[in-house]
Amino acid sequence: MSFNLFDAEEKTLEQAEILRAGLTDQPESIRTGINDLVDAFSRSVREQRRLVRVSDRLQAQLATVNQELARRRAEAETALGDLQAAQDSLIQSEKLASLGALVGGIAHEINTPVGIALSCASHLADSTAGLRKLFEADNIGIEDFERYLATATDTTTLILSNCERAAALIRSFKQVAVDRASSERRRFDLGDYVRETLASLGPHLRQAGHTVKVECPAGLILDSYPGALSQVLSNFVMNSLIHGFDSGQTGTLSILIDQPTPQWVRLIYADNGKGVPESDLSRIFDPFFTTRRGSGGSGLGLHIVYNLVTGPLGGSVSVEKAANGRGVAFTVTLPLSSEI
Amino acid sequence: MNNLKIAATERSPEVDFDFERGVLVLRGESYPEDASAIFGPIFSALETFLAEGEKREVKMDFDLTYFNSSSAKALMNMFQMLDHAAAAGTKITVSWFFAPDDDTMKEFGEDFSEDLKHVIFNLVAVEDAA
Repeated sequence: MSFNLFDAEEKTLEQAEILRAGLTDQPESIRTGINDLVDAFSRSVREQRRLVRVSDRLQAQLATVNQELARRRAEAETALGDLQAAQDSLIQSEKLASLGALVGGIAHEINTPVGIALSCASHLADSTAGLRKLFEADNIGIEDFERYLATATDTTTLILSNCERAAALIRSFKQVAVDRASSERRRFDLGDYVRETLASLGPHLRQAGHTVKVECPAGLILDSYPGALSQVLSNFVMNSLIHGFDSGQTGTLSILIDQPTPQWVRLIYADNGKGVPESDLSRIFDPFFTTRRGSGGSGLGLHIVYNLVTGPLGGSVSVEKAANGRGVAFTVTLPLSSEI
Repeated sequence: MNNLKIAATERSPEVDFDFERGVLVLRGESYPEDASAIFGPIFSALETFLAEGEKREVKMDFDLTYFNSSSAKALMNMFQMLDHAAAAGTKITVSWFFAPDDDTMKEFGEDFSEDLKHVIFNLVAVEDAA
């Protein structure tokens, strides 16, 4: 026996039919009235069946839509997760790439003094060998000896000064590179550190022929993450070099630092290049926003700046047109101690 | 009598009752929060129109894509009203439109027409049903 949702109604209808059939000897008005009642009830039961079907179908549709919604939501969440992971890994590789550029700059910078020292040492070795030959042949004259002394004095002076130069460069680069790679927090002199970072970018700047201006109150000590700051400055500078000027065009990059309140410093980085269209200013810190997608821009440089300044450095960064209407200016506000 | 024209809302169908031509159309979706607010005016206009009792031709189109249970009950009431009028002599043709891929709406049409004895009922599959 199968379950019948409308069993009771059907039984009632059967009873009603029996009742109707037994009414033959009743007055017309009663038979008509009962007829109408039975018809109306019968119709009502049919309508009830339909309404149950309508309702069931609507519920089923709703359930299907909800399932579909849940599925799409899960899909969207997975896609978002994948995108974020991809973005993180791109940011990591962008950081590594800029570390690579830094190392390249260092190598180039040190190459000059080392090269000079090397050729001087080689010249000195040649002269020494020549002098030894004359000495062993017992054919050495006073002029030969005087000439050798002059050579030795000149070359050793040059070797010393160039090795000192190389050592000084290595010292300053070492700090920048170590900071950049490690993300250690320490106390450092802001002005000195900005200059050291710019020195490591020297080859890029000199090649383009730009002038760099740094103004910073002496003895301004920050307790923060110098590696992050160095990365921020490098990205600003590389941004200016790549986007701010056409090749052959020279300009001025400036870094002005002041201390508007006792606990905060303000660093204004500006160039006097082509500037940024008004419409791009609001998106300039967005990840993957670039005007140079085709020519290798990743659109992550200023996004990394934004993340570092608002993250580890605990500050804020904004962009506007440069004060004189030429170029672009970034204002970075940093706490003296990144813990506040 | 005056024609009844009510624009569709997000939850209620468009009503276009042209009583002069005898062409009445319900089109769209119907899941109002208050079914009587929507169907009250429709029923009273339809009642008045059918009570005029002229032996004339009436065409009524149902072009609906979605409705809730209250609307379904209202539609059945409307069908019964039309069938009574047809029994009394008005020639009434009801067309129930549905999109070819919408089996649900087609089956609702078949269901609802079961009790119609005097109305001429057409199931019409149309592309781009409203």
